[in-house]
Amino acid sequence: MGLYDGPFWRSVSERRLSLQCCRGCGAFRYPPGPICPECLSEDSDWQPVSGKGEILSWVVFHRHYLPAYKPPYNVIAVRLDEGPLFMSNLEGVAPEGDWIGRRVELVYATMPDGFVLPRFVLAN
Amino acid sequence: MVKPRHRRTAAIIGVGHTDWVGDWVRTRAGEKPADSVGYAARAFRNALHDAGIARDQIDGLIVGPTTPYERMGELLGLNVRWGGQADAVQSVTQACMAIEAGFAEVIVLVYGNNQRSGGTQYGGPNAMGGGAYLSYVYHAPWGLTSQGGLYALMMRRYQSERGFAERDLGEVAVAQRGWASLNPDAIMRKPITIEDYVASPYVCEPLRMLDYCLINDGGVALVIAEAGRARTLSQRPVFIEAIGRSDLNRNATSLAPRLLDLYLPAQQEAASASFEGAGIGPQDIDVVQIYDSFSVHVPLALEGYGYCALGEAGRLLREKGIGPGGQLPTNTAGGHLSESYMQGWSHQIEAVRQLRGECGPRQVPDCRFVHYSSDVAGKAMSIIYGR
Repeated sequence: MGLYDGPFWRSVSERRLSLQCCRGCGAFRYPPGPICPECLSEDSDWQPVSGKGEILSWVVFHRHYLPAYKPPYNVIAVRLDEGPLFMSNLEGVAPEGDWIGRRVELVYATMPDGFVLPRFVLAN
Repeated sequence: MVKPRHRRTAAIIGVGHTDWVGDWVRTRAGEKPADSVGYAARAFRNALHDAGIARDQIDGLIVGPTTPYERMGELLGLNVRWGGQADAVQSVTQACMAIEAGFAEVIVLVYGNNQRSGGTQYGGPNAMGGGAYLSYVYHAPWGLTSQGGLYALMMRRYQSERGFAERDLGEVAVAQRGWASLNPDAIMRKPITIEDYVASPYVCEPLRMLDYCLINDGGVALVIAEAGRARTLSQRPVFIEAIGRSDLNRNATSLAPRLLDLYLPAQQEAASASFEGAGIGPQDIDVVQIYDSFSVHVPLALEGYGYCALGEAGRLLREKGIGPGGQLPTNTAGGHLSESYMQGWSHQIEAVRQLRGECGPRQVPDCRFVHYSSDVAGKAMSIIYGR
């Protein structure tokens, strides 16, 4: 975890996903960092996001790279309604066909080791 | 805007590489034929011999990212008046800049990598490049670390945005294997068909095993000299006609340049800078070399650098063809998919050999211009080579 990532993971563990937001221009930024790439202000706070977005792309891993991820498993790229792109996983069903553009919403998944992870499900 | 001035100010006068096929066999058997600097040193000796110059003519040294600068220079016995460290395409660029600026006149570029025998990880918790490119490791909590994963996301988006068919991606692997079958230095030489491609297993869907490069040990070296000096030497010079570059860094970690732009604005800007600099266009290119850590680089580059309209790469691959006998010879040594994964370095020496006319059965007749492009992590680079 990087120097600026703490508040993100705290917000996840509190089930209230928040992203860093520039006080100078109001732009959300992800991943968090020391300065706003839009206006170069160092002044920021953390704002909850809606957790709503749409699928930009998706893949299915068929190779075992990480101990916690046994294949096959999916990764989706979500464009949050607030703007930032967010890499995550789709829960419940595997993505298929042309699911690009499908609406998704945030859920909180508890991993076997107790770690809470922000993931997505298809929106109703 | 000020235009780059480096047109034909420098030329490649020597190229060399290691025994990729032999070292592949040895490393698969568990041997360690050399370390990274050892491979680079072997390639250096070959390039020096190819250039036909004495070692004391060299006054500049650039080493690749995988070898330490001082140790490399120590082993090669080189005291120089200018030096640096960079990846393949930026090494060529920096050599041209140093020559243009008068810092050096004859520069050697060396690359060595024991990535196979050393067990370098390009995916998983120890994936390379986390320090250089945060996007390679930042999404690990969601199971996304591998380079293949990032290009698979890009491929899916590309399919949706421009109507590229998954099956057409197989044309890249098939064509490059066709070239490799004509290249004794290629590791994978057995011809394959589209059916073989479709039957090959997914690694990260929609990318299959045959879409991935061959990670192996080896080295590459090039000698670049000031153009006037190059003309006085016995080896036939290959000139750097022009270079273009454009980087998409904004929102790179969250993959916006990949998924929203498909690197297109960078490719187009680098293409126009290099083609305008050389005074030619894509229609004048005889051989295309495209950095291909994954096959998906190829259709994206064909569209982005102007070889066809957006959305037409599938048709180009199917109907015009990029393999032997095709209208647009591309990655004529087999590329990183079938020859050897040398991180962009092997494409440079294939460009030189095609322009010298040394390529035997895979030689493209009357080759006058070769275009190399790469778009690693949204850094689009474009080099035009001529004779």
